Amino acid sequence: MSVTEVIVSIFLLIGAFFSLLGALGLIRLPDVYNRAHAAGKSSTFGVIFLILATFLFFLFTGEFNAKLLLAILFVFLTAPLSSLMVSRSAHRTDVPLYDKSIRDDLQETHKKKEKKQQKET
Amino acid sequence: MTFQIVINLIIAIGWMFFTESYTLPGFIMGYILGILSLLLLSRFISDTFYLKRLFKVATLIGMFFRALITSNIDMIKLIYMKKPEFEPGIFALPTTLKSDLEIVMLVHLISLTPRTLSVAVARDHSHLYIHAMDIDSIGETIDTIKSSFEQAIMEVTR
Amino acid sequence: MNALLTMTESFIEIVTIICLAAIVVSLVLMVYRIITGPTHADRLAALHAIGINMMGITALIAILIPTTHLNNATLLIGIFIFMATLWGAKYLEGVTID
Repeated sequence: MSVTEVIVSIFLLIGAFFSLLGALGLIRLPDVYNRAHAAGKSSTFGVIFLILATFLFFLFTGEFNAKLLLAILFVFLTAPLSSLMVSRSAHRTDVPLYDKSIRDDLQETHKKKEKKQQKET
Repeated sequence: MTFQIVINLIIAIGWMFFTESYTLPGFIMGYILGILSLLLLSRFISDTFYLKRLFKVATLIGMFFRALITSNIDMIKLIYMKKPEFEPGIFALPTTLKSDLEIVMLVHLISLTPRTLSVAVARDHSHLYIHAMDIDSIGETIDTIKSSFEQAIMEVTR
Repeated sequence: MNALLTMTESFIEIVTIICLAAIVVSLVLMVYRIITGPTHADRLAALHAIGINMMGITALIAILIPTTHLNNATLLIGIFIFMATLWGAKYLEGVTID
């Protein structure tokens, strides 16, 4: 058991912990938008750590593998955008917000558009 | 900016020819000399020095990673609470950013900050719609978005 | 003594298997969300999370075997999951992409 192994396994454990955290958030939080918070942040963070651990493992055994760094960059760039797409499609298909929600400015703009369309027709 | 990089490369290659050492350390030495000479002559070049802009890009990337880590630590607190009690809501945030790249960067940065998630972008790019978990304490979030994020993005792209 | 030596040699292997178990548990939770999700958007979010965790599983298996050939698969799964989520969101909104 050397220092490099300890570093790799710490990264692995952090990654698995955050993946589990994302799944728990997906179960526990009340509505789609809050679940998209958990799925978009924690799962991404966990997977970034898992891939980083794999990269370090292969680096310590003597192979520099840049494709894994590319995968980390790709996940980091695309995960917030896909959570935006999920929550936007939820809002456009009229998924209601959680009961305790207070404000919904986007709903008002939708209503304004509908009124405009009604006036035009 | 590209003009300065080209001049820097020319100085580096010229240094390689001058010392007749066609290796990577020779190139790096020449590049450092080029940076120094560009720093000395920066008064005569109309554009700002390009490493300054590179430094701003680096601070923006650091901001991304800081937001990612703080939001995940916040997520731990949120999910392991006994009863999640919060009052979520969607609010509109007016922005001054115009082009597609700037809007995408702002959306990305907002989605990574704790307890905020961007839901939609208005068609004329004047507003962003943001879902926040605690809408009571949203004033500080708006302040940080306005003061630090937009400022940092503008300094990089303009 | 000998048993201890072999245990320390396969230290990373044990940690990797523990991580695999954790990810499998999270996959089960996500499948639960897919089955009982009240709306289709919930299912889409859970599907995206499953895809992201698939990348993690591929990385862990690459440590277990160990081989570097699975790294291409990691990158490709990430790209396809992003495209699939975009397509699903557009489909839910009622826009068809050819």
